[in-house]
Amino acid sequence: MTSPAADGRAVRRARPLLGTLVEVGAVDGPGHAHDAAFAAIAEVQSQLSRFEAASDIAWFNTARAGECRVIGPHTRAVLAAARRLGDETHDLFDITLGTAPRQWRVEGDALVKLVDGITFDLGGIGKGYAVDRAIDALAAAGCRAGWVNAGGDLRAFGDIDVPVSLRDEHGGGVRPLAQLRDGAIATSRFGKGARSTLSAHGAPDAHVSVAAPLCLWADALTKLVAISGDTAHPALALHGAQAWLH
Amino acid sequence: MRVTLAALSATALVPVSAFAVDYMSVEQAARLMFPDADRFEARDITLDAAQMQTLAAHGVQARSQAWKAQIARRGAATLGVVVVDEVVGKFELITYAVGIGSDGAVKQVEILSYRESHGHEIRLPAWRKQFVGKTPASAMQVGEDIANISGATLSCKHVTDGVKRIVHVVDVARRSGALG
Repeated sequence: MTSPAADGRAVRRARPLLGTLVEVGAVDGPGHAHDAAFAAIAEVQSQLSRFEAASDIAWFNTARAGECRVIGPHTRAVLAAARRLGDETHDLFDITLGTAPRQWRVEGDALVKLVDGITFDLGGIGKGYAVDRAIDALAAAGCRAGWVNAGGDLRAFGDIDVPVSLRDEHGGGVRPLAQLRDGAIATSRFGKGARSTLSAHGAPDAHVSVAAPLCLWADALTKLVAISGDTAHPALALHGAQAWLH
Repeated sequence: MRVTLAALSATALVPVSAFAVDYMSVEQAARLMFPDADRFEARDITLDAAQMQTLAAHGVQARSQAWKAQIARRGAATLGVVVVDEVVGKFELITYAVGIGSDGAVKQVEILSYRESHGHEIRLPAWRKQFVGKTPASAMQVGEDIANISGATLSCKHVTDGVKRIVHVVDVARRSGALG
């Protein structure tokens, strides 16, 4: 096992971003690599956060039917991915959370709201996308390897195996979950209070983990598996993903 | 992509372990936030009753009367201030530093260390006390434990609340001349 802990060349930093703690690990990179990764995440957050009044999503959630606005490239990319996964899953994956999955449209670089009352929540896809952009920033800065972990949505690149642990939400402490190399993993807990049909069906407190080449898909597909209860859902294979319930 | 899962069926049988990550020292954070500073002066901020009331009027629980700050200077100029604080979450103890510019705005927030407890000992003063005054020796290096947690319902709300508190503490301290 090649561990960054063993070779000591990984430099780690963490900041509060995306409503969670974001950790960036960089191996053999320049001093500004972490700043570039954090800046990439902050840029995504400024376009996608429901809580930032100037963001595209905050605008959409308060806009009226028929209004449109030119949106940022990150918003466009995430909405395109969300629409694609909606198409692949008959809107089981739905960023409008049931308010009206088809009542929005992107025309060129503008987002159009088609009915009143529809809102977006990108909580099930935005963090994974932000992690991917931060990984791009580390690679562009010249890092040999690295990882980014946004509150459990994690992607690693380069020639390192990153150990991933799972926290015990009842008693505290962590247990080993996986070793990850050149890919992404995300985990969702479902059970009491979680948004999932599995919990509605009385499933005990459990987790779904999804591994995929891109963190965007790992993030979004954990929600699909939690909602559908299907670890063999056809959409997983379309994105090179694997899912586990545990 | 290569993912090697731990034997998940056996996962529940593996005892949980605690872990800690030291990201950087206070000094390193201060230099990162104010690279132009030629020195940092340690300063104790002690809030009086009236200042505590001012904070409360802003809806901020000051939590403590005594705060430690590092003032960033360059020649005669004051560039800003760095304040270190720690917050306790469900199972974690997070130490973080806030850099505030001379305009009173937050310049940067850096996590200095993250300590995950085995369990409910996070509430015990004795558990937390073991870290008091401990300077991360391995700062800017990877720690012994490299637990990247997946699936934690880890909110940074208590950190962001703490940052807001520090902004107000620094503001009242500045108004009283305590940072001059």
